[in-house]
Amino acid sequence: MTAFRDGKQRGIQLNETAARIIGNSWIEILARWILGFTFIYASYHKILEPAEFARIIYGYDLFPAAIINLSAIIIPFVELTAGIFLILGVFPRSAVFIINAMLAVFIALLSLNLIRGHVFDCGCFAPGISGREPSLVSVIARDIGFLLLGMYVFLYNRSRRWCIRQTF
Amino acid sequence: MALIRIENKMKTAKELGILLSISIVAAFLVNNFSPVGIAWVGQWETSQGTVTARAKNDVVFDDLEIGDVTIARRLYDSGNALFVDARSHEDYEYGHIKGAISLPVGEFDAFIDKFLELYALDSPIITYCSGRTCKDSHHLAQLLIYRGYENVSVFIDGFPGWEAKGYPIE
Repeated sequence: MTAFRDGKQRGIQLNETAARIIGNSWIEILARWILGFTFIYASYHKILEPAEFARIIYGYDLFPAAIINLSAIIIPFVELTAGIFLILGVFPRSAVFIINAMLAVFIALLSLNLIRGHVFDCGCFAPGISGREPSLVSVIARDIGFLLLGMYVFLYNRSRRWCIRQTF
Repeated sequence: MALIRIENKMKTAKELGILLSISIVAAFLVNNFSPVGIAWVGQWETSQGTVTARAKNDVVFDDLEIGDVTIARRLYDSGNALFVDARSHEDYEYGHIKGAISLPVGEFDAFIDKFLELYALDSPIITYCSGRTCKDSHHLAQLLIYRGYENVSVFIDGFPGWEAKGYPIE
């Protein structure tokens, strides 16, 4: 009888702790900053070498030729802007919405290529390019992790810390 | 309640609009002024030649391209042309065009002096790598031209194209 009651108490305590962690505004800002800096970092190389990024998009073999370059030009800056907005706390929910959307698309594309068994053979000998990519599965797993983080930030409904402008 | 929901959606729409507008404007501004900026539309059809994003500092130049394997074969048969393999040593060892020289584009500086000693600047050179999705052959061609070679072409179908036709390899 007491064991059952203790077990129930423990369950309630765990729920309360979990709720306290999830509701903690420091955790929220940590999640926001992790995503923000990750996406700023991700955009950095793409902005420095857009031709290389365009080549990677081409390598997916999933896009019409006409939009490859435009995507290579625009996507890195959406990542950069959304990342900065997240860190500064400008329209955080919209910013993370865009990031979540991008992550969902990345995950879908990567999974599609994983299923297709499509390997882009560059055949190029150029230092720093070949052998740098981690396995496709680990990239997908990582992106899923970020998406979960992003959904947390999106659904967070208490007041957020250190925001310049929460909403329009 | 419903009005608040619609109002929230409008706000989100405006916020997204602002975010995307800033991104797009910044993207095109930077791309326009960046020394490595790319064209709005690249060349991504292998039937047209080597694929490239058409960046400002692009190494791909159409006029150097030999796009017909049979033409490359004819040059090979004439005995004049020197075929130069831009791929890595491993790829070269595994199989290369018969009589070709290995000059991996990633190790250009290490090998170019020896190459300069062996081959005159007016030697007819044909670079190649692994096909129309690879631009190493173009890159090597530009490096050789920069060093003074006057007669450089790029065989864009590369080793795979040559081998597929059953032409001499070793």
